[in-house]
Amino acid sequence: MTRHHPDSLSLMEYSAGNLSEPHALCIKLHLDKCSHCRSRVDTLDSLGAVMMEQQPKVTVSESMFDSILSRIDSEPSGEPATPAIPRVSALQKLLGEDLNSLPWKRQLGDVSVLDITDRFPGQKEQVVLQKLAAGGKAPAHTHRGEETTIVLQGAFADQKGVFNQWDFVVLTDEDEHKPVAVGCEDCITLSVLSAPVKLTGTFTRMLNPFIR
Amino acid sequence: MTTLDQKPANSEGRKDPWSQMLQKVGKNQDREAYHALFEHFGPQIKYYAMANGLASHAEELVQEVFVSIWRRSCLYDWRKAAASTWIFTIARNQRIDMLRKMQRTSAEMPVETEDLWQIPGENENEPVTSLHRLMSERRIRESLSHLPEEQITVIAKVYMENKSHQMVADELDIPLGTVKSRVRLALNKLKVILQDQNV
Repeated sequence: MTRHHPDSLSLMEYSAGNLSEPHALCIKLHLDKCSHCRSRVDTLDSLGAVMMEQQPKVTVSESMFDSILSRIDSEPSGEPATPAIPRVSALQKLLGEDLNSLPWKRQLGDVSVLDITDRFPGQKEQVVLQKLAAGGKAPAHTHRGEETTIVLQGAFADQKGVFNQWDFVVLTDEDEHKPVAVGCEDCITLSVLSAPVKLTGTFTRMLNPFIR
Repeated sequence: MTTLDQKPANSEGRKDPWSQMLQKVGKNQDREAYHALFEHFGPQIKYYAMANGLASHAEELVQEVFVSIWRRSCLYDWRKAAASTWIFTIARNQRIDMLRKMQRTSAEMPVETEDLWQIPGENENEPVTSLHRLMSERRIRESLSHLPEEQITVIAKVYMENKSHQMVADELDIPLGTVKSRVRLALNKLKVILQDQNV
């Protein structure tokens, strides 16, 4: 099971650009804070470049270059524009500044959830935020299908270890765990559920790494 | 920060003609260098579009990628990424962007493609250049020539045809586990997996 860092296969699918938007978001949030994984992705991006260079040769017309030149000449300034380096992270764009003030829905005991699937139009996965109150415990549970989770705030621990902010974890139906929020902050995670889940009742609505 | 970036031990980056040309485009808006990049990478990007099912938009993708190269070239730093790696990620992002726009008529996209897929070397928190990064393309090229065909086929389908591991398994009619083990074997030889062990 993948714990703390994404595995190489997932990073390869990321580098190739084959992941869904919610999965790519989980990886990107982790990469932003993990130089080790960033370096692994750099290598994989180079693999992509080498694969691209080793494909059969096709031709491009010289007139295409002229169209490109006229496109860049029609830019407001004759010089290359400096794209503003995004200072607002994807997370802030999606959820705003304060995760704690989101319209959380209290679910059971120490657990609150917020379904943000609608922020990813056209994507198949379900995307859920969950919050485990500081010091809170979630009941033991297993997972159905595959669930990719990244810790956005605080930390949680289960039998196998402690998951801190920006840690990455993939859980499947073989993983039973009993998470506890550790530290003095509420633990907030973002989870992507690969299999579409039918919402049929209170019981099946508890889909998160804490309760499922 | 470390001694690595004080000495141009990474002279390999300097020797790479494409990285030099890209640097000239960024610094001096050098159109001759830009044209040379177009002649070298334009056909590769066109093939990339054709391989991943965008054949009818192949020339459009090449144009979008080159306009993007022009616009961002001032951010390019040869010490942080080889030109070909940097251009590959721009092509990947423009492809994703094109597909996102096609699939969504007017629905807004709260998160932009760039927020999800980063271009190497544009992370402002990355002050240090690793020698490893500059070595990697040459090393990958060398290692690839020793890989068995079946492993290269799988990697090509993932990178060029943009098929998930599951789709590759379905197409080749082999179990998903076999696809994954071929990828792992290949990545192992390419030293990507080795780094996992230090985690």
